[in-house]
Amino acid sequence: MSNKMLTTPMRQLTYIVDLNKCIGCQTCTVACKKLWTTTPGQEFMYWRNVETTPGRGYPRDWQNKGGGYKNGMLQKDGHRPTLEEYGVPFEFDYAARLFEGKKGRVKPSPEPRWSPNWDEEQGVGEYPNNIFQYLPRMCNHCENPACLEACPNDAIYKRAEDGLNIVNLEKCKGAQDCIKACPYGKVYFNETDQKANKCIGCFPRIEKGVAPACVAQCVGRAMHVGFIDDVESSVYKLANVWKVAIPMHPEFGTKPNVLYIPPFVGPAMQDENGNMMMTQKMPLDVLQGLFGPEVGGVLAVLKAERAKKIAGQGSKLMDTMIGELSDSMMISPMT
Amino acid sequence: MNKFGSTRRGFLKAMGQVSLGMLVNGSIVMRTLAQTKDPMMQHDYTGWENFHREQWSWDKKTRGTHLVNCTGSCPHFVYTRNGVVMREEQSKDIPKLNGVPEYNPRGCNKGECAVDYQYGPHRIKYPLIRVGERGEGKWRRVSWDEALEYVANGIVDTIKNDASDCISVFTPVPAVAPVSFAAGHRFASFIGGHTHTFFDWYADHPTGQTQVQGLQGDTCETADWYNGRTILMWGANSASTRIPDAHFLQEAVLNGSKMYVISPDFNSTATKADVFVPIKPGTDAALALSMVHVIVKEKLYDEHNLKEQTDLPFLIRTDTKMYLREADMVEGGSEEKFYTWDTKTKKPVLMKGSWGEEPEKRAKLQPGFMGRNTFVFPDGHLDLGDLDPALEGTFKVKLADGVKVNVQPVFEVYKPKLNEYTPENVSKITGVAPSVIIQMARDFAMNKPSMIITGGGTNHWYWSDTVLRAFILLCAVTGNEGYNGTGVNHYVGQWKPTPLLGVVKLSFPHSPKKHRFCQTTIWTYYHGNVYDAMENDGVDTAKYLREALETGQMPLYPQNGRDPKVFICYRGNWLNNAKGLDYVLRNLWPKMNLTVDMNFRMDSTALYSDVVLPSAHWYEKTDLSMTEEHTFIHMTEPAIAPLWESKPDWEIFALLSKKVGEVAKKKGFTKYFDEKFNIARDLTKLHDQQIDGGKLATDEQACQFILDNAPQTQGMTLDMIRKEGPQRFKSNWTSPMKEGVPYTPYQHFIMKKKPWPTLTGREQFYIDHPTFFELGVELPVYKAPVDADQYPLRFNTPHSRYSVHSTWKDNVLQQRLQRGGPMCEISPADAETRGIKDNDWVEVFNDHGRVVVRCKIRNGEQSGRVTMHHEPELYVDLLGGGNSQSPIPVRINPTALVGNYAHLKFKPNYYGPGGVQRDARVEIRRHTGSVTV
Repeated sequence: MSNKMLTTPMRQLTYIVDLNKCIGCQTCTVACKKLWTTTPGQEFMYWRNVETTPGRGYPRDWQNKGGGYKNGMLQKDGHRPTLEEYGVPFEFDYAARLFEGKKGRVKPSPEPRWSPNWDEEQGVGEYPNNIFQYLPRMCNHCENPACLEACPNDAIYKRAEDGLNIVNLEKCKGAQDCIKACPYGKVYFNETDQKANKCIGCFPRIEKGVAPACVAQCVGRAMHVGFIDDVESSVYKLANVWKVAIPMHPEFGTKPNVLYIPPFVGPAMQDENGNMMMTQKMPLDVLQGLFGPEVGGVLAVLKAERAKKIAGQGSKLMDTMIGELSDSMMISPMT
Repeated sequence: MNKFGSTRRGFLKAMGQVSLGMLVNGSIVMRTLAQTKDPMMQHDYTGWENFHREQWSWDKKTRGTHLVNCTGSCPHFVYTRNGVVMREEQSKDIPKLNGVPEYNPRGCNKGECAVDYQYGPHRIKYPLIRVGERGEGKWRRVSWDEALEYVANGIVDTIKNDASDCISVFTPVPAVAPVSFAAGHRFASFIGGHTHTFFDWYADHPTGQTQVQGLQGDTCETADWYNGRTILMWGANSASTRIPDAHFLQEAVLNGSKMYVISPDFNSTATKADVFVPIKPGTDAALALSMVHVIVKEKLYDEHNLKEQTDLPFLIRTDTKMYLREADMVEGGSEEKFYTWDTKTKKPVLMKGSWGEEPEKRAKLQPGFMGRNTFVFPDGHLDLGDLDPALEGTFKVKLADGVKVNVQPVFEVYKPKLNEYTPENVSKITGVAPSVIIQMARDFAMNKPSMIITGGGTNHWYWSDTVLRAFILLCAVTGNEGYNGTGVNHYVGQWKPTPLLGVVKLSFPHSPKKHRFCQTTIWTYYHGNVYDAMENDGVDTAKYLREALETGQMPLYPQNGRDPKVFICYRGNWLNNAKGLDYVLRNLWPKMNLTVDMNFRMDSTALYSDVVLPSAHWYEKTDLSMTEEHTFIHMTEPAIAPLWESKPDWEIFALLSKKVGEVAKKKGFTKYFDEKFNIARDLTKLHDQQIDGGKLATDEQACQFILDNAPQTQGMTLDMIRKEGPQRFKSNWTSPMKEGVPYTPYQHFIMKKKPWPTLTGREQFYIDHPTFFELGVELPVYKAPVDADQYPLRFNTPHSRYSVHSTWKDNVLQQRLQRGGPMCEISPADAETRGIKDNDWVEVFNDHGRVVVRCKIRNGEQSGRVTMHHEPELYVDLLGGGNSQSPIPVRINPTALVGNYAHLKFKPNYYGPGGVQRDARVEIRRHTGSVTV
């Protein structure tokens, strides 16, 4: 990596998503959308989204879009998702039907063919052993940000004070190389402004000591955020002490600072007579596909710690994940 | 630690006060400044980044919440900049309770975009009078004066020419916005109109709970879910429809609790369960009774609890199947006192606490949520002392007339029935493996505390009462009641206005006894000429209904065969949610000479109204909010003045009452006598009554009136809530409030041992009423779902993640997170046999109605049913009219028509027939008609 915009930050903000607690409610999606992406040109973009996995995701089939790093080399030829792959934002003409006497139904226009959550809860497998899992996604504020390196205009930089990767809207010239380079499909192009838009990590909130909207407003209490060098923070404990928070698609090579606690809670398979079997419904290979080979070991730690709780003993790890106080999961949630 | 239990750490620790240039101070802004500052002054505030900083800024911050029937009651802050409401965010200041995760943040995907309804295209800006047909959407904009005069004319003419009881006011759920609720009820009370029940009509009222416990319902606050060690999530889907509370379950699981999710489909909550129990729809009572069977067989039951707290030891005459009454045994004895068999003295013993026993201290108040007030009995009244009543055996007693009869405890009578529910038999009914039933029963009895969390999935059925009775039995036999982490916890509808007395005093100024409460299910069934097809299932509804109405067990308005004439609806979308929708549109709605809707958005009821009055959005008025899901009362207040020409509901009814007085004078019809209540009414005084001579002129005054008039909120002020945030109730319904301890109900009965407000003074599982005998439900049994519709698929209409009933169904943001319109969902197998592909248009139909909707194929759906999230607006993306309510008729279970049996009597939302909506059967086929795009 060689880019003058990539400084080693003084501190790195780290986000953790606990997939055992995420309920797929989209509160984070809406909270983020209402705060940051309400202007023309941003209708289709969800800096934060929650999709169903296994599934095609948002943008559609992003997991095969390319970009990231291979053997340390930036992959510049990743796919630039089309509006159809994001989902063409449809509009409704309520006023005409409700106030002007227009006949018929209020229909979405254009006719919806795809949307960011089109295949919600469809998953795979056969009832009652079918599976699905919610997967919240955002910019990973990577340590090796492919977007940053790909930018020909030095418009993307890593903030020294918190390690958040930001598009400088004054410098962005709309080259869109960042969009091709990001393997997670988390940089968007604003056609109206002709600029790249992406998650800013809620840095204005961070600066004031307030957790980002997707974290502070997560009603499932599934999110942690903190500086990874703060040894008292839950992110430090989960990522560095217990090592149960791991990146998604580590093979993309960007070293995300958004980590996931894989789902270890979930029902068992049933035989044809409805008896419970020993194996869990969620297959290991699905999780390995998302989180790499490490995930098996992580699940073992999590299960062992919950077993202590079931036996009536304590578990510091489970307590950290439960997070009785929101304050213990994040820099202050209060606004 | 501050009052939120917070220990602010991290990089904020060592900072001093730094002011925020861009945040202008308001009263609340000041309070939070200390929490929002830049400790190290490390950021450069001069650069381009200010662009984003300004996006997150405001000059005013107020309290807000969403006054919608969702049960959440989520405290928020509302952020305004330059007079425009920008966004909302959970206030996160609900005080933390001990030993459980905190409630914060409360607020979901809908609540975080509630501002959309202020500025959205559905907003009603001006008073409107219809110029086209009802539902066409053609309007004439009029002044407030003209609109009110139009409505007042209709009201005065109706009173003059017909009767005041031809006027309906429909507005549901006082807990959601008690001041708004009260405005219309108060108005109806003063003119002698009638208001409507809603909790029963919505199918949310747990009739089975009233049958067993003599209560409208009560439930633990959701923080107590965390205390359950075995949790049966049964007929509810918290991850989708109790979003602010769902985390307690995930956290309980991490804490070592075992969660079963019992549901026909593999739903969002089931993904977090230890065990997913895929049950056939509507067979829940069988499963619960099989668990009871296992618990009894394996002797895992709590004998003491059964003997002290339930009627299971009470004696039944084998000759008449009736309870052995004091009147049987003693000349002139009570019909409402009962016996058990003392195993020591071998004699029948009269039991204390029954309906026939009057407490020494007579109750001054009869709370609406109880069959009668038994709290005035002394503590320990149910204590058995040395008495050891028999649960089993057959005994002989000599009646007063000298005849000897055999008697058996209820438990003995029940045993042969219970024996039928072996895991093997029940497995055939429910599709649940015997091994799972047995394990679940053992866990529930031994891995305690154990609780059931339930909702619409079990409560929206015709036989939901039997399900609830079985659930309560399961808790009673295992002693899982009255303690933290236990009980049958039922949540559908935001039904619990905890400071009830304040709400009642404001809403029913002449007292509830002098107010006409219309039972909405009966009203709709009767005036809508609904065909229920129940003869196919062997139930003659008309027979039971006729008896209930003729004997006055249930009310019907208007009286004396009159038709309803005026319908005033607000804070509810009655037409859109009406079961038997097609019958209602065809038969009931045209009976109305005048339909009025007060609303901030043009929902279906507004669209089909004659006059539409613009009301203030939730962020434009003052009101209170509360719920059964937590024990805190909080408020909303104006972030901005009501937009366009809208006004708060409280003000609208004040203005309407004034206008009615003026119109009455003009017409020379001001006074009339209300014979039913012996009230001489005078419309010229209406306005003064409505605002109590100016003491209740504003919604703020009305809020404070409620707080002042209920023991649960004594000493609280609106200002206190505004400044300090949500306030915890001082007392509650069936348990005391303890500081820092999650509320769980029934402690007045279980711990203080006061009688239950039922006929027997116990949790009563045996109901010796002719209707119950005729239907074979004198004891909790499994009754198969109604199959009166001769169609192959069960029609399931649950709540949705993306809407609260119809609210937000029209929200663009929510729609874009789905597929742009309503959908039904079916299994891949059912789709394949019908040649249906994902996203096809399909027709869902039966004899009652049809709806044409997009179809989604979902692997987790069970074959044999269609799911359609309920109540999209009539004008959204559905072809050809109708909605999810069209294929659902109104069906009345006769057990809920009983009103002459001690605790089983009509009181609004306490007991009465519910709106059954899960038993309907339909067929589904590809839509082959035209689709405009």
